Amino acid sequence: MTRKPRWVWLLSVCALAAGLSLFAAGCGGGGGSKSGNSSSTSSSGEGGTASQNQGKTFASFRVTWDAPDYFDPGLSYTVTGWQIIQHVYLGLLGYKETAGPGGATVIPALAQSLPTVSADGKDYKFTLRPNLKFSDGTPVKASDFKASIERLYKVDSPGVGFFDQIVGADTFSKTKKGGISGLVVDDNARTVEIKLATPRGDFLNILGIPFAAILPAGTPPSDQSTKGLPATGPYMQQSYKPNRSFVFVRNPNYTEIPGIPKGNPDKLLGTIVSEDTAALQTVLNGKSDYDFRTIPTDRLAEVQSKFKDQLHLYTPANTYYFAMNTRTPPFDKLEARQAVNYAIDRAAIVRLFGGLGVTTQNFLPPTYPQYKKIDTYTHDLAKAKQLVKQSGTAGMKITVWGLNEAPSQPTVEYLADVLNKIGWKATPKLLAHDVYFTTIGNQATKAQIMYTDWYQDYPHPLDWIDVLLNGNRITETHNNNVGNAKFAAADQLIEKLKKEPELTDPINNQWATLDHDYVVKYSAVAPYLNIEGTDFFSKDIDAGCYYNHVLFQFDWTAICKKS
Amino acid sequence: MADTQTTEFTLDTASVLASEEGGAEIVGRSPWALAWRRLRRNYVALAFLVLFVLILISCALAPVYAHHVAHTGPNTNHVADTFTKNGKEIDVLKAGGITKGANGETILVPAGAPVGPQWFSAGGKYVLGADLNGRDVAVRLLYGGINSLKIGIGSAIISIVFAVILALLAGYFGGWADWLITRVFDVIWAFPVFLLAIALGTALQVGGLQLGFTTLQGNSLWIPTMIIGIVLIPYVARPVRGQILSLREKEFIEASIAQGASTFRVMTSEILPNIASTLLVLFTLIVANNILFETGLSFLGAGVRDPEPSWGNIIQQGATRLATAPTLALIPGIAIVLTVLSLNIFGDGLRDALDPRAKVKI
Repeated sequence: MTRKPRWVWLLSVCALAAGLSLFAAGCGGGGGSKSGNSSSTSSSGEGGTASQNQGKTFASFRVTWDAPDYFDPGLSYTVTGWQIIQHVYLGLLGYKETAGPGGATVIPALAQSLPTVSADGKDYKFTLRPNLKFSDGTPVKASDFKASIERLYKVDSPGVGFFDQIVGADTFSKTKKGGISGLVVDDNARTVEIKLATPRGDFLNILGIPFAAILPAGTPPSDQSTKGLPATGPYMQQSYKPNRSFVFVRNPNYTEIPGIPKGNPDKLLGTIVSEDTAALQTVLNGKSDYDFRTIPTDRLAEVQSKFKDQLHLYTPANTYYFAMNTRTPPFDKLEARQAVNYAIDRAAIVRLFGGLGVTTQNFLPPTYPQYKKIDTYTHDLAKAKQLVKQSGTAGMKITVWGLNEAPSQPTVEYLADVLNKIGWKATPKLLAHDVYFTTIGNQATKAQIMYTDWYQDYPHPLDWIDVLLNGNRITETHNNNVGNAKFAAADQLIEKLKKEPELTDPINNQWATLDHDYVVKYSAVAPYLNIEGTDFFSKDIDAGCYYNHVLFQFDWTAICKKS
Repeated sequence: MADTQTTEFTLDTASVLASEEGGAEIVGRSPWALAWRRLRRNYVALAFLVLFVLILISCALAPVYAHHVAHTGPNTNHVADTFTKNGKEIDVLKAGGITKGANGETILVPAGAPVGPQWFSAGGKYVLGADLNGRDVAVRLLYGGINSLKIGIGSAIISIVFAVILALLAGYFGGWADWLITRVFDVIWAFPVFLLAIALGTALQVGGLQLGFTTLQGNSLWIPTMIIGIVLIPYVARPVRGQILSLREKEFIEASIAQGASTFRVMTSEILPNIASTLLVLFTLIVANNILFETGLSFLGAGVRDPEPSWGNIIQQGATRLATAPTLALIPGIAIVLTVLSLNIFGDGLRDALDPRAKVKI
């Protein structure tokens, strides 16, 4: 290399650097109002508006979806899977397909009617509808239900816990032989009898979720996601290529069941995209009709201003909260836990979620009839500092556990900073999603305080307070009660309420009291946010047909195209 | 004379030196003096050395800047805070959220967009803007520079020290020692080095690293430093070993051995001084390479752990806001480019100066 070209090259580098700087300045200028699109827009919410296109069928509905965990109803445990397979695999019961609180109503699906329940709440008797057929033409039998529940244990389904109160389920879970004695079926009479060891108030809700779907008795006890199983619902699986695509088509043997319509699209064509921006782009490019994923927060303002009519917001039943380990210092002290509740600025955290959320201090979500707004903790750093001093734990080292992805990462970093401000020495520890929940759910980890959230399995307070806070359900590993909350009076009340067959007003009040006690009296958790979801459609979709179900979220079978 | 002029740094003959110094008396000079002489004529290399030193000084002054100019620490969140600009209160992160309208409709005001660069119009606050947690980007950039440079330089020292020891053993003794060491290098070389570093970084994230006498926490800077330093040893040791193999056969080494010099003495007094120039050049290039390596690891979450800043994890956070706040990723990107470029060009010049005929590549 000679001197001359070297100088020319240097000049080129300088020019490039200057260009980059100018670009940076151009992009970043403008100060506070730079990205501050101050316009606010309203959305049509959960939907359910009438449309002239309602009930009109159309050829195909193209969707961009997140990767489902499974399409096998015995294994799937995410909305990503359930939102589709709830229209494919039906159980004895289902949920009313409607917007708003009505969607929490349990309706008979493959059962002729709701069951007769014995006075002690331990015996449920169902009769199957006559002439039911799977999509492959084979008849649906009562024994298929028994086999389907037993299959859950054989495939180590994450849903087995929902059925552990059936008589004989405990033994069957260990031996996997001999069947579950508490399931008595008669194929000729089409009857199913379920005997529970102890009454369970949410059992009808459980029978409406996909884990209780009826599959043919001979279904192999292994993941059948890619093969597809004979369906009982209005649609059936045609193909599934993991991480790429899926196709669901109409079930030719489906006879319309009241409350479970046939659906509008003849075909559901799914493309799996695991990145928010790329998923959004598929709809903007006209390659897809629907984006399942949440709109990335940095695109939200643009989407809202340019495509307002195509964007829908909905409130899934969820709560984001910090769990504090009541077994591990400093959070074994009530004052320390209260300090966290006072220290966090819930409105500030909303900003970390891009504005897509509403602050809360309740553990139960606001969509529940048991919800009674808690308004105890005003953001008060001075009071939090004082509580830390009172707890005698000032200066203690704390590890704040969280996921290494947004919105967890900025939230955990915020919490660590807040804890440092009130007198502790906190550092975040961020893990990948694959290992995070098993790590914090392991007692050996001794996690002190952690980021976590919960989305309902079914609309019942037991799915929240019993699953996540009941001290009798603490386990050494895979612990859902990650804060090891254990308060005798509360645990007794949960056990009592668990047996109540109906959610009457007095019962709901008791659930509300528990909600209040866990947050205020025991300060076991620090709830801060109910997140809002987004559904984004192409301009060809008729927004009038859109509705969002309380459990299964956007009902794609009800969607229609503009005529 | 025409011929000698075109060879510039390559051959400093006595006649050239004499002619350049106006026929003055020819003075014997050490190889280092000659190298310095060549280097100081390479203005490009010197300019980039100055740039690198400026970057070093800027990063070293990070605490001063944070305390006296920005008035905030590198990890201090300002999620709901405001600052004053031209008498006006501005949110560090845009406020917003969900509310219910009069008819029960949901109203969304997108929130959380961080403030852009203020370029000293806000009294030194947010000169380069704020990040997603409302932290001052300029402060984090400088502190991140310290961490990136610490890791780059620290891991380069680890690589060089271990590589030299192993290369000396392999190159000097040859035989089974050479075979064993080069096979170990081959094994490490057979791994995709970046994936190996990611795997190690991720594995050590939870439990840290137990070193017998002490435990390195998962968020310690020593972990990425050691990982990068160790996985790159073969890449440094290979060329050094080759040079030692060649030196081992030289007459002056044999003469030294014949005179009864111990192995250690031959290694330290005869071989090491002869590979010093190579090591010096390699060092600058490896520091640059390791800064890039660290950036990649931190970007992927296997290097410097949040909230500790590094240029890599600042870019990683900025990447999620490319559409609305591109400076978050661009600014640390430019810092990396300038640092690595300055080290590479200076290293290149150093190589030309120390040994014009050398062809050291990494």
